[in-house]
Amino acid sequence: MNAFKPVLTEHIHQKDCHTLPFYKSVGGYKALEKVLAMQPDAVIQEVKESNLRGRGGAGFSTGVKWGFIPKDSDQPKYLINNADESEPGTFKDRLLMNKTPHQMLEGMIIASYAINCNTAFIYIRGEFYKEYQLLKKTLAEAYQANLLGQGIFGSDYNLEVVIHRGAGAYICGEETGLIESLEGKRGWPRIKPPFPAIEGYLHCPTVVNNVETLACLPHIINHGADWFKSIGSEKGPGPRLFCVSGTVNNPGVFEEPMGISLKELIFDRAGGIPENKQLKAVFPGGSSSAILTAEEALDVKMDFEDLVEKKSMLGSAGVIVMDETVDMVQACLNIARFYAHESCGQCTPCREGTAWLVKMLTRIVNGQGKPDDIDMLYEITDNIGGRIDFSKGSFGKTICPFGEAVAWPVRSFVEKFENEFRSYIQQVEAVA
Amino acid sequence: MPLLKIDDLEIEVKNGTTVLEAALENGIDIPYYCYHPALEIVGSCRMCLVQVEGMPKLQVSCNTFVGEVPPERKVDGNFDMVVQTQNDLVIQERKNILEFLLLNHPLDCPVCDQAGECYLQDYSFKFGNAHSRFDEDKRVRPNEYLGSQIVINHNRCILCSRCTRFTREISGTSELFVDERGYSSKIAALEDRPLNNLLAGNVADICPVGALLSTDYVHKNRIWNLQKKSSVCQDCSVGCNIDAFYQKRKIFRLNPRENQDVNGYFMCDIGRYGFHRFEDLERVTRPLFKSNGIFSEISWDTAIEKIGDKFNGAEEKVAGVLSPFHTNETNFMLGRFIKGIIGTFPHIEDEEITYPSGFRISSDRSPNKRGMHDVCPSIVDDLASEINDKEIRVIYILDNEIDKEIDETWNKILTKMDFIVVQAYAMTRLAKSAHLILPGLAPFEREGTITNDQGRVQWLRSVLPNNGESRPDWEILNLLYKTGERFSDINELMKGMGEQFPSYSGMTFFKLGDQGLPLNGNLKT
Amino acid sequence: MNTMATPQEKFIFANPDKVDRIFSQYPDKKSATLSLLHLAQAQEGYISGSVIDTIADLVECHPAIVMDCVSFYSMFFTKPQGRHKIQVCQTLSCSVNGADALVDHVTNKFSIKPGETTDDRRFTLMKVECLGSCGTAPVVQINNDYHEGLTNERFDELLESLP
Repeated sequence: MNAFKPVLTEHIHQKDCHTLPFYKSVGGYKALEKVLAMQPDAVIQEVKESNLRGRGGAGFSTGVKWGFIPKDSDQPKYLINNADESEPGTFKDRLLMNKTPHQMLEGMIIASYAINCNTAFIYIRGEFYKEYQLLKKTLAEAYQANLLGQGIFGSDYNLEVVIHRGAGAYICGEETGLIESLEGKRGWPRIKPPFPAIEGYLHCPTVVNNVETLACLPHIINHGADWFKSIGSEKGPGPRLFCVSGTVNNPGVFEEPMGISLKELIFDRAGGIPENKQLKAVFPGGSSSAILTAEEALDVKMDFEDLVEKKSMLGSAGVIVMDETVDMVQACLNIARFYAHESCGQCTPCREGTAWLVKMLTRIVNGQGKPDDIDMLYEITDNIGGRIDFSKGSFGKTICPFGEAVAWPVRSFVEKFENEFRSYIQQVEAVA
Repeated sequence: MPLLKIDDLEIEVKNGTTVLEAALENGIDIPYYCYHPALEIVGSCRMCLVQVEGMPKLQVSCNTFVGEVPPERKVDGNFDMVVQTQNDLVIQERKNILEFLLLNHPLDCPVCDQAGECYLQDYSFKFGNAHSRFDEDKRVRPNEYLGSQIVINHNRCILCSRCTRFTREISGTSELFVDERGYSSKIAALEDRPLNNLLAGNVADICPVGALLSTDYVHKNRIWNLQKKSSVCQDCSVGCNIDAFYQKRKIFRLNPRENQDVNGYFMCDIGRYGFHRFEDLERVTRPLFKSNGIFSEISWDTAIEKIGDKFNGAEEKVAGVLSPFHTNETNFMLGRFIKGIIGTFPHIEDEEITYPSGFRISSDRSPNKRGMHDVCPSIVDDLASEINDKEIRVIYILDNEIDKEIDETWNKILTKMDFIVVQAYAMTRLAKSAHLILPGLAPFEREGTITNDQGRVQWLRSVLPNNGESRPDWEILNLLYKTGERFSDINELMKGMGEQFPSYSGMTFFKLGDQGLPLNGNLKT
Repeated sequence: MNTMATPQEKFIFANPDKVDRIFSQYPDKKSATLSLLHLAQAQEGYISGSVIDTIADLVECHPAIVMDCVSFYSMFFTKPQGRHKIQVCQTLSCSVNGADALVDHVTNKFSIKPGETTDDRRFTLMKVECLGSCGTAPVVQINNDYHEGLTNERFDELLESLP
C-alpha cells in the first residue's frame, strides 16, 4: 500500500517546526485569511460538508455541533480547546501541541470565527507543563503577528485566547466537567439539558473541540470538504492520528487515513510485538472502549462503523496492545483502578460501582476470589454503564459517559477472558 | 398544553414541567433523593430514572421537561411524551441503584434516628432487593460535628448533596462542601468555619437518610412514639408554619411545614429550638392572691369578684397591658374590657436577617404585633407616661413572652400601683409583682389566631394540653364580663371580633386551615 | 470536619502582577481559581489554609468553596511535600512496560512506599494515573518535568542527580 502522506504531522520532524516563521513558510494561516473573507455560516457549512467528526472520543460531527450555537443570542460565545488529554493510551494531542501548536491555534481561530466567539480558552491538563510553557510562547508569537487580538489580518474580527491549566482530573476532559473546572469549581459534569451549546461556560453558548479536531480545520479550508471526505471512510473521513502503545516494538503516533486495518497499524507501523510474542488483546480506542481479542483485532478496520459493529468503539484512537505476557485479570484491575481513581463521585452507580469493582478484582487477584464473583462482575458493570446495545434502553444510568467508559472495558475483559478469571478463582477452591 | 402519559395516566401539564413534578402532583410514586423543590436540580442520585418512549437511554425524571412537540413527533399521534415508571426495566434499575446506595450503608436502623421517616428505608422496602450482594469491606468513618447543632454520620451519607446545595442557595453561607472525589467523597465543613448559621437545622430535615442529625433531638425519641400537630412558630413576626412533634406533655422537636406564602419549606433555628425555654418552668396553675407578701390559692369565683370590685370601682382610671405574644382573641378581649387606656410594654427589637433565597427572620421577635394593633386600635404610644399623667393605680397585665427583666420606668410604675392583676403561666418576675395572678396557658398550649407582619392571619393550634386549672387566656377575660355579655365559645368571639373589625370578618378556623389567609377582604364570606 | 489547621499567617502572593494578569484573562473572578491555586502552590509548595483564605477573598467566595475545588484535583496538595515529587504512572501501557519496577526501585533504595516522603524531605513517591505519554512508557513526572522511556538504570541516575 502506498504510504499515506501525512497532513497533520507532515512537518513534525523538521527543526523549529513549532515556530511561527516555520509554520508560515509551509502555508500556515492561509486558511485563516481565507476564512476571514467568508461568512461564519459558510465556514460551518464547509465543515459540516466535510463530515469531520470529533477526535476527542465521542466522534460527534463538528459542523453539526457548531450549528447548535444560537445565532440570535446576544450572549458572548465561547470556544474551548479541550487539551485535557487523559484517556489511557492516547498521546496524540501532546504531539500536536509540541510540534505544530500553530496548526492547532489556526484551527481554534477558524472555529471561533465560525461561531462568533471573541474569547477562546485552551484547557490544557495540568501535568503538561512543558506544553503549557510552549503554548504561552506560541500565543505571544501570534499576538505579535496580529493573528490574535484586535483586527486579525486587518479584518474587524477580534479574538483573545487564554490558556487555562487543569489540575489532575480525567473527568475534566468531559465537556461539562471541563466547563465546571474552567468556572473555578470541582469538575462535576452537568446534567443535560441544558446543553453546552445553549448554556455552557458561565451560562453562555459554548463549543468544546478536541486539539486534533481543530488541527484538521485549516486543511479542510485549504483543500475543501470533498478532499477531506476522500480520505478514508466516508462516514467518518479524514486523516487520523492513531496512538499505539503497550507491548509493541515501535510505539508512537501514526497518521493514517480513517479505516486503516488494526492489523497493519500494530504489525507494520508499530513494528509488531517484541520477541514475536503472540497478540492477546487490544484496546482499539483508549481504555474506555471494549477490548478486542486477537482474532477480532486482526479482522477490524479502524473507523467508527467497523468498530461499533465489533461491539467496541474508535473513541480516542488510542490503541493499547497486550501480548500473551499480559495477565488479563491484572490488566482489568489496572483499568478499573484508573476509573475508580478518576470517578468524580457525583452519581451513585459510578461512585459506588467503580470502588466495588476494584475491591472485587483486588480480592480475585490476591487469590481470594469466589465463584459468584464472575456473575457479579457482569452485573455490576451492567448496572453502572449498561451494555453496548443501542436497542435496549439499558444505559444512561450515569450523568456522563464515564459510567459506560468503565463498564464496557471491564465487562469485555471478563467476557472475553472468562477462563483467566475462573482460573484465579479455581486456585482458591483447589487450595480450600 | 402538552399532553403527558405516565403509566396509565393521561394528564395535561404546563409547558416545562418535569416528569417528576407531574408524577408527584398526580400521586405517582417515583422515588428520589437529590431532588428538592427549593434547590437546583442536579440529577445525581439516579433514583428517579424512568423510561421515556423514543429515547434509548433511561432519563432522570427530575430533569426531563415536558413540552409540546410537532404533530409528526407525537407518540400515538396524540401524546407529547409517554413515560413508563413501573415497567420491568425501570423497576430493575431502581433495585440496582438502591443496591449501590446501600453498599456502604450500615445496617443501623435499630439505632438510627431517621428510622421510620427514612427515604432509604421506604424505598428499600418498596423497590429494593432483600439482600445486598456486597461482600467486601465497607468504608467506615467516625461521626463528626459539622456545627454545634448538626452531626454527620458519614457511613449513612448517600452524597445526594442536598445539604451543600442548601448552604449555597438558601442560606448563602456555603459552609458545607464535598471533600475529595469519587469513592472518598464526603461532606465536610472547614474547621474554623463550622455550620453555625441560623438555618443550620434545616439540613437535618432535608437529609433523606440518617446522616445529618440534629444534636438537639439525636437519640431522644422515635417518630412512631410521637404525635404531630400543625401549628405556627411564635418566635418572630414571620410566623413560619411548623409541625410540632410531642409525646404526652413534652415537645420533642419542631419541624418546618410548607407554606409558600410565609416560609417556603424552612424555618430558623431560633424558632426550631426555642420550645426548650418553656420546659421545666415553675408553672402557675391556680389563681393566686397576695396578702402580706405571700401568694395563696383562691378560687376562680373569688378572683373574678376581686377584679370586678377593683376595676368597677376605678371606672376609667384603669390600664391594660396587651401583648404581641398573645393571640388576636386574647388581646381583643382585654382591649374591650379596659375602660381606661391600653398599651404595651416597650417593644424589644432584634436583628432582621434576610437570606439570599428570600427567607427572613424578622427583627420583631413577637408573633402578633400586627394582629394586636388590628383588633385594639386604641393602643396608646407611651403607656408608661399616660399612666403617670393620669395617675392610674389599677392595672391588668398580660404576661409578655418569657421572664424578661422589667425596666426602670415600669418598676417604678408597678411599685406605685394599688392593684395589679397579671395573667401569667409561670411565676415570672412580672407575676411576682402582682397582687392577683390568673393562670393562663403557655405558648404551646394556646389556641387562636395570630397575624404576621405581612398581614396573614394564621391558625395557632394548641399542641400541648392545659395544665392544672389554667384556662385559655381569652376565656379568663371572658369571665370578667357579666354573664349576659360573655361569648359562648371562641367561634362566637371571632364573629364578634369580625363585626367590629371588617378585615377580620367572616374568619373561622376552618377557613384559615393550615395555610392561613391574607387580610384585605379574603376572609369575607 | 476538614482537618486544615487554623491559618496562622496571612498568605500573600509574591507577584501581584501575575495575579492581576490572571484576573484580566477571565470574564469573571471565580474562573481564576485554578490558575491562582497553581500560582500559590508554586510559591508555597502546597495549598495551606491561608492560601485558601487569600484566594477566597480574591475570587469573592466562601473559603469552603475553594476547599471544595482544591480537594477535587490530584495535583493540589494540602500538606507539604518532598522537594522532588516522584510521580510514576501506573496505568496500563506504563504498567506493562516496567512501571512497577520503577516504583519498587524507589522503595528499595529510599525506603519510602507510595504516598510517603523521605525523612530528609528529598523525595515523595506517588503512583499516578495516565500521564498522556503512553508511547514512551514507562513515564515518570518529577515535579513539572516528564521523564520518558526510563530504564531502571537511567531512573537511578536521574534520582541521584536530584539534590
